[in-house]
Amino acid sequence: MSPVLSVKDLKVSFPSEAGRGDAVRGVTFDLEAGKTLGIVGESGSGKSVTSLAIMGLLDENARITGSIIYDGMELLGKSDKQLSAIRGNGMSMIFQDPLTSLTPVFTIGDQLVEALTVHRKMDKQESWNRSIELLEAVGIPNPERRMKAFPHEFSGGMRQRVVIAIAMANNPKLIIADEPTTALDVTIQAQVLDVAQKAQDETGAAMIMITHDMGVVARTADDVLVMYAGKPVEMAPAHELFHKTRMPYSIGLLGAIPRVDKKEKQPLIPIQGNPPLLIGLPDECPFADRCPIAIPECRASEPALLPVDTGTGGNHLAACIRKHEISDGGRIGNGTVYPIPEQLESELTLTPREERPVVLEVRNLTKTFPLLKGAFLKRKVGEVRAVKGVSFDVREGETMAIVGESGSGKTTTLLQIMDFEKQADGDIIIAGTSVNDIKSGKQERLLRRDIQIVFQDPMGALDPRMTVADIIAEPLQAIGTNRGDANRRVDELMDLVGLDPAHSDRFPQAFSGGQRQRIGIARALSTSPKLIALDEPVSALDVSIQAGVINLLDELKAKLGVSYLFVAHDLSVVRHIADRVAVMYKGDFVEHGDVDDVFDNPQHPYTKSLLSAIPVPDPDIERGRERIIFDPDNI
Amino acid sequence: MVKYLIRRFLGWLLMIVVATNLTYFLAWGYLDPRSNYVGRRPPLSEQQIVQQLLPRNLSDTVPLVERWWNWFTAIVTRWDWGVSPVGQVVNEQVAFRMWVSAELVLGATILTTVLGIALGVYTASRQYRLADRVGQATSIVTMNINIVVAALGIVLLAIALNNAVGKRIFYVTGSGSRGVEGFFPKLIDILQHLTLPTIALVLIGYSGIHFLQRSLLLDNIKADYVRTARAKGLTKQQAIRKHALRTSLIPVATQVAFTIPTVFTGAVLTETIFAWNGMGRYFIETISNNDIHGTVAIAAFGAFLTAIGALLSDIAVVVLDPRVRVS
Amino acid sequence: MSDMIDPQVHEKELEFEPGNEPAARKRMSKWTLYSRRFLRNKPAVVGIFIFLLLVAFAIVGPMMTEYDHIDMDFLNLSTGPSAEHWFGTNASGNDNFAQVSIGLQRSLMIAVTVSVGVTALSAVIGTAAAYFGGWTERTILLIIHFLMVVPSFLILAMISNDSGGDWRVIAFLMIFVVGWFFPARVIWTMALSLREREYVHAARYMGVRGFRIVLRHLLPNIGSLLVINFTLGIVSAVMTETGLSFLGFGVKIPDVSLGALIGSGANTITSAPWLFYFPAAALTLLTVSMALVADGLRDALDPTSAAGGRA
Repeated sequence: MSPVLSVKDLKVSFPSEAGRGDAVRGVTFDLEAGKTLGIVGESGSGKSVTSLAIMGLLDENARITGSIIYDGMELLGKSDKQLSAIRGNGMSMIFQDPLTSLTPVFTIGDQLVEALTVHRKMDKQESWNRSIELLEAVGIPNPERRMKAFPHEFSGGMRQRVVIAIAMANNPKLIIADEPTTALDVTIQAQVLDVAQKAQDETGAAMIMITHDMGVVARTADDVLVMYAGKPVEMAPAHELFHKTRMPYSIGLLGAIPRVDKKEKQPLIPIQGNPPLLIGLPDECPFADRCPIAIPECRASEPALLPVDTGTGGNHLAACIRKHEISDGGRIGNGTVYPIPEQLESELTLTPREERPVVLEVRNLTKTFPLLKGAFLKRKVGEVRAVKGVSFDVREGETMAIVGESGSGKTTTLLQIMDFEKQADGDIIIAGTSVNDIKSGKQERLLRRDIQIVFQDPMGALDPRMTVADIIAEPLQAIGTNRGDANRRVDELMDLVGLDPAHSDRFPQAFSGGQRQRIGIARALSTSPKLIALDEPVSALDVSIQAGVINLLDELKAKLGVSYLFVAHDLSVVRHIADRVAVMYKGDFVEHGDVDDVFDNPQHPYTKSLLSAIPVPDPDIERGRERIIFDPDNI
Repeated sequence: MVKYLIRRFLGWLLMIVVATNLTYFLAWGYLDPRSNYVGRRPPLSEQQIVQQLLPRNLSDTVPLVERWWNWFTAIVTRWDWGVSPVGQVVNEQVAFRMWVSAELVLGATILTTVLGIALGVYTASRQYRLADRVGQATSIVTMNINIVVAALGIVLLAIALNNAVGKRIFYVTGSGSRGVEGFFPKLIDILQHLTLPTIALVLIGYSGIHFLQRSLLLDNIKADYVRTARAKGLTKQQAIRKHALRTSLIPVATQVAFTIPTVFTGAVLTETIFAWNGMGRYFIETISNNDIHGTVAIAAFGAFLTAIGALLSDIAVVVLDPRVRVS
Repeated sequence: MSDMIDPQVHEKELEFEPGNEPAARKRMSKWTLYSRRFLRNKPAVVGIFIFLLLVAFAIVGPMMTEYDHIDMDFLNLSTGPSAEHWFGTNASGNDNFAQVSIGLQRSLMIAVTVSVGVTALSAVIGTAAAYFGGWTERTILLIIHFLMVVPSFLILAMISNDSGGDWRVIAFLMIFVVGWFFPARVIWTMALSLREREYVHAARYMGVRGFRIVLRHLLPNIGSLLVINFTLGIVSAVMTETGLSFLGFGVKIPDVSLGALIGSGANTITSAPWLFYFPAAALTLLTVSMALVADGLRDALDPTSAAGGRA
């Protein structure tokens, strides 16, 4: 059988100020009908550019070489007009962000009908009926009525279903899904992946699933292609890749992921350093700088993607000159490819929880937003209770996590605490001081020493016009520390979070995402607070970087005895880092307790469905899992 | 929706009333109707001057508050905006001149908008190619030529053209000739007068819309939904025309609505240069002649246009943007 | 998680080498980046060159001729450009060269004063409205909306005319009555999005005082907008002043400005066109060159500019 898609030595480069950036540096693969190829990689690895190149959707300034043969036709060199006859018809695409991928000023129906009529002559009624069928197929209730709705009237998950409906409209032979669920909540992600699977089954199409999430790959892909620095570094059938990994980068990627189904609290294995810039790369292994088993020969020339025999006879390729030395489980020789970091144990954990002091106590925290109506003129027509009276405490040296999906009220809870919002019928007590007792700005500033925050976006949280030293010293200045002491403290802190104090006079732009997050942590630590609020501190980072930051947080907790209030949507991370957890749903804690109790023996159906929706990075486990659908009406 | 617009309109109305009254007091601070009679030969006595001004509610022998009350009640009760120091009725002047200006401004605004949007779309879809660069360069120059220079330059060119042809193709002054009869002769006469000032207004005005439309469209071309449209099978040009353009027109429409009052001020200079007896000329005459009532009427007229512009832009958003409409 | 290459970030990271005076290097490389981007924009370079020539002309010009701008040469009334009067003379025998250079000087003086004032005022008011929100914001926005309704050009004309065309009065009015509120509104919307940035929240949660946040975080981060606003402010101030003086309500004899010169030149446009040509050329060169500079600055300072594709 001839492949639906055959890509040979695809290279893409873009002009940039510093010279040509080689975003994709030679990708080769074949894809057969009905099969799914998972392309994994971190940001900048070239996976999305590859998919856009196949679709012919790259900017005109991109230089593309190699060959892309779809259905026997060479696509490179075809004009936009010629390609448009194939796009949406023979091959179609599902994009990452459903909130922006539909035109806001046209109805869903118009956009679906357009996808049909642009390729074939259809009368109005026919295309309308077919569109309703498509909406039904992707599981949109009341399709007749929803046809006339505009995109903004749909939730993110519903919009992604519409995008999938558009993609399957003309029974394509190839569907490319570019991070289709990255922007969605886990429970929605599970549903959308099911819909995408259904679309593939119904059309018999081949699929390319592009993602950074190893769990999604484990769930969907037949074959997996791992990309690094614009090039495939390992390619194998899914089971092979997860269990007989041979390229150190892939091994690191798998080792760096916290697992929701694993209890033991071993430190994660981070990959040191950052991916290289794709401008003027030298002829050497691009991973050599970060690779723990790199030898001088790795720098002689860039290793090619060559077959490796793992004893299963599968078609396994890896781009590493030491691939034959590596055995299953990420081992090499007598040791492991990655050294296992040692675990610091805090003395505090020796004291039972009940005997440790409470650093934060929240009693019956409530937040209501006025419900407004009207296009311009906002009238208050009611109230939305975003947080419905939650209570919890955080003790010294422990991590309390609040986990929930978007709209659950978890961030609102955190911000209420940070805002020192006075509670009418409850209280927030930070290190013994109730916010209800704050009378003056001075008292408030004094209390702020004890509670600091780290934000999600490592770039947005640092003022780009200030040096790192000024950023870290800002809380100190706010409490009136003198310049000399502040400078000494800055050096100390940078050392503590693993940054070179000599770099303190640089601007945040000069640092990578993980380093910026470390700066943010250093700033939060500067006043030696008792509690640090962490608002999704690792969700914007790539997995390999994320592991390093999580380990740092663990280490700081053990060293300094600081407590964390950790807000996240990622249950795997929470399982790894937290001691106590509260699952939040619609403004309320549905489950609250020790992390292992909650994760291993969930009581509430919502927690069960949440846990079952998280993809596990192991194809054997993942494909056998049963998903529990949570129906709020059935409690 | 209608309720909302009415409320907005009332808000603007209140501001117009306050602004107009403020202008009334300011005008009394800086304009002196009496000075129109100073230096006349034979010199007028104080008595005679007051006799002239008193019935016109312009005499400073009456306390300011009383003058204001008379002026204000006349407007509220009889829609009478008063008279100038020499007895011209403000209502008549405005009623007549308004249409002279409108003839110039309306046509120019429509042309400016159409030309600006067309150029914006054309150059945006050819970003960084020759047509785009030439278009950008031309627009940045025309946008920054002063209207006075542009208008006078056009006058010089038109005179040269008339001389070269030996016939008067374009009139460089006035809004129409006297004694022209019949529909077609009249139309041609109007066009002969209208062309040059319209060119001047369009020349300096179109580039603002051009740049706005271009940058909005470029933003929208990069938007995800345009990529989705292309992934469906639309060519790049189709996707831009259908999906990106429609979305980018929303802010352009509000912008155009907002520029209507500024076009009128731009017309002050154009009308002066081309000797049109519109609101622009009236503006200069009233200030030069210490015509307080006329000046205040112009202020009210300007404020009213601003409010209309603001309301029109509100309406434009509601009509064009479903995100606002449905919620 | 975009896979695209962001030219700015990469540029900076490329020049990121540990060791040797990192701060100086960093700052250097930032300015190098700005100036390299600016210099790549050829029209902007031409613009700045023309602008500097005009400034030189405004300063040195008056010293270059033996005639003052109010001297009258009764032997040369309304004569065209000649060796003695390079730009010709007007009907009273004033030397047009001296008048144009002095007029340019006056126009520039007004424009720079106004633009400095407008930029500072609008920046402070706009950011303060955005940061403090609530009551402050509502009051400021109400004032801005009110000033939009107030016929500012009319008030400007009226008061300036009454003052006899004193340029200081004109400049003052142009700042406080005409100029500040539109840019303040633009800055307000910009600062609104800055207000929601996490580093501003972070500063607040650290206990930094409100006004300090405005000065340390908001203002520096709209710096490039302010630079561009300042440049464009010069253009619009020149335009307003020209219109005003052209109508006869602005700068008055014996003081001259470009607008006043064009106004008197317009009356003799067929008989003595040089009286129109020279000030008109000076004015056009001034406004167009400043606009080109503003355009170049926008490309150089604005990280979102699409300059990447042109390299």
